[in-house]
Amino acid sequence: MSKPTLLLVDDEERILRSLRMLFFTGYNVRMTTDANEAIRILKEERIHVIVSDQRMPIMLGAELLRIAREISPCTMRILLTGYSDLDASIACVNEGEVFRYLLKPWSGEEVKQVVADAAAIALATFANERSPYTAAMLQQKARILVLDSDESTVHAVREVLRDSAEVIWAGNLQHATEVLSQVDIAVLVADVMLDGKNISYMLKTVKQQYPKTQSMVVTSFKDTSHLIDLINQAQIARYLPKPLRKNILGRNLEYLIERFRAVCTVPLLQTRHSVAPISDPKEQAQAHGLMDLLNRLRLHRATA
Amino acid sequence: MHAARLIGKDIPSLTIALDPIPSHLPLEELADLFRHPAYAEVLSIPVVDDGKPVGMISRHRFTDIYLKRYGRELYGKQPVGNFANKSPLTVAYEQPLAEAAQHITGNMQLPLTEDFIITRNGKYLGIGFVMDLIKAMEMQMRADTEALDQAYSRLKSSQTALVQSEKMASLGQMVAGVAHEINTPLGYVQNNVTIGNELFGHVQNMFASYETLVDKMLDGQSSAEEVSAQIQQIAEMRAALSVNEMLGEMRGLMEDSLYGIGQISELVLNLKNFSRMDSAATDTVSLHDCIASALNIGRNILKNKVEIVRQFGDIPAIKCAPSQLNQVFLNLFTNAAQAIADHGRITIKTWHVNDAVHIEVADTGKGIPAENIARIFDPFFTTKAIGEGTGLGLSITYQIIQQHGGDIRVTSRVGEGTCFHIRLPASAAHHDAQLLAA
Repeated sequence: MSKPTLLLVDDEERILRSLRMLFFTGYNVRMTTDANEAIRILKEERIHVIVSDQRMPIMLGAELLRIAREISPCTMRILLTGYSDLDASIACVNEGEVFRYLLKPWSGEEVKQVVADAAAIALATFANERSPYTAAMLQQKARILVLDSDESTVHAVREVLRDSAEVIWAGNLQHATEVLSQVDIAVLVADVMLDGKNISYMLKTVKQQYPKTQSMVVTSFKDTSHLIDLINQAQIARYLPKPLRKNILGRNLEYLIERFRAVCTVPLLQTRHSVAPISDPKEQAQAHGLMDLLNRLRLHRATA
Repeated sequence: MHAARLIGKDIPSLTIALDPIPSHLPLEELADLFRHPAYAEVLSIPVVDDGKPVGMISRHRFTDIYLKRYGRELYGKQPVGNFANKSPLTVAYEQPLAEAAQHITGNMQLPLTEDFIITRNGKYLGIGFVMDLIKAMEMQMRADTEALDQAYSRLKSSQTALVQSEKMASLGQMVAGVAHEINTPLGYVQNNVTIGNELFGHVQNMFASYETLVDKMLDGQSSAEEVSAQIQQIAEMRAALSVNEMLGEMRGLMEDSLYGIGQISELVLNLKNFSRMDSAATDTVSLHDCIASALNIGRNILKNKVEIVRQFGDIPAIKCAPSQLNQVFLNLFTNAAQAIADHGRITIKTWHVNDAVHIEVADTGKGIPAENIARIFDPFFTTKAIGEGTGLGLSITYQIIQQHGGDIRVTSRVGEGTCFHIRLPASAAHHDAQLLAA
């Protein structure tokens, strides 16, 4: 099998030279300091993985990755940045749909592993010769689970989806867990802050247990490092700040329902959203407890 | 009796429950009354009928009558009511002290010959001394002044705290910006050293294999098979790792790393220059140095977005608080960069006229609407979103320039840009004390 092709983009050529040394044995490495050149390469060559810097003179990395997504949807997208600002991370979720958000200075081992995972996934998706997310619609109505103690969120979701989906509201974790263990959920809409507690671990666990379920975070909580963890460890599909704007909510919910259907039709696609292990020890413990509970509930359903 | 009385800050505490006299009382009775110990201290005795005060008769008035020829004989038997002041000074028991004092001092006659009457629901209650009232008022004012002083010092310390928190916020932003900027060189330097370290291991192994080969060839005891096995091993190692090629690459990476370390040192030096932690608070410096320092620190906000045009004139070094002026310039540059949506220009002009140094910072940003321009130096005025600005930046800038004995003005056109003009005295000896206090 031929080597996967890796495209490195950074306005500092010393970064490019340094990264190249990590990859030149296992990959065809293409690199450029010019985002326009990167776009040209994406159009002309098959690129399996693109690793881009965020702050560059011509355009931001998140913008380049958005364009990459349009030109070459099968290419896996990774952002490598020294700046962890919230706007950039939100753009990375919603527009760039990045596989990983990595920070400079990086760990060589971690970057190598992430790129290797991404490359394997890209090779498989390219080989499948199907553009992601164009799968035929399933007939069944999609189920949306809204986990938010604030009832206005579920009202907004119901209002924008009307009868096109079944919307279930859970105001607390226990109810949400029961629902998740009993029925397939297409989209989980959740606030990371539930009654003042951060429930990021819940989103991470759901993605591990139900990789098909797409999650949308709706929140007024602003914390960049949390968001970066949610990208890498929960592969959240969308991040919408509260207060919610109905048209944006509607458009994104429809898109995620489609994406769920695509993933159901072509299971290979779910590997594109595979997650990194949970890094925070406290969250690991919480996630472990939740997983136990989900398994017990599922067994209960199976035997009932 | 009331000598030991404590004067409070209200009418009740001033009230003396003095027995009044009825209006039909013959005037001559007053001679005994005024000499009686109970009335020894009063200037006047209230005249009360059926609980209602109808007048006031003073010692002064009584003496006047008696001093007239045959006064006592002519008027002694007549009722007091005929001679009393029919509209005495009167205050209500519940009346606030300040209001009562205003009424008394506004209506009293000099020389002071009467006390004032205190009533409750229109009924006589007692009398009060005007001097007591004035004393109480004075105490009240002293307390008020103290409270005002306290409030003032509280306000002042909370303003200091606010200014401090603005300083910390901008310092935090600045440090975060520089920290981010360090991440880029740190990223490749760290990676290069890691790679170099690995490569060093390979080279070490390879070198050991070569050494073994040379030893085997020279010791005269190893067989030809052993030597060729060793050669084979080396050949395999060479095939697995293109060490030569990697060494060539590594050379470049080492140079990159040295460059990166230079970059990191420069960033750290910039931080040190900007904060001037290790220099005197006031110093004679060129403003061009302050501008350069602020531009260095603000680089991460400015780069890729703003073109800096320097039109520097020949200006003398001035005595100032450089770290404060650094803050002023950084604040102006940051604001300018934030006003520029996409790409734009900041023009920095300096010149020198007579005894003043002028600095102009003009941007091609969105400009300030006319309704806001008068308020931009006001504390807490901001058009930025919550959490993006404290609204104190320009007010502190204004304060710093004032403390330097200079002034700052602004002109702006919506859609075209904003220009800040700072004038600082070139010789600034007179505001030294203020600078040090700031």
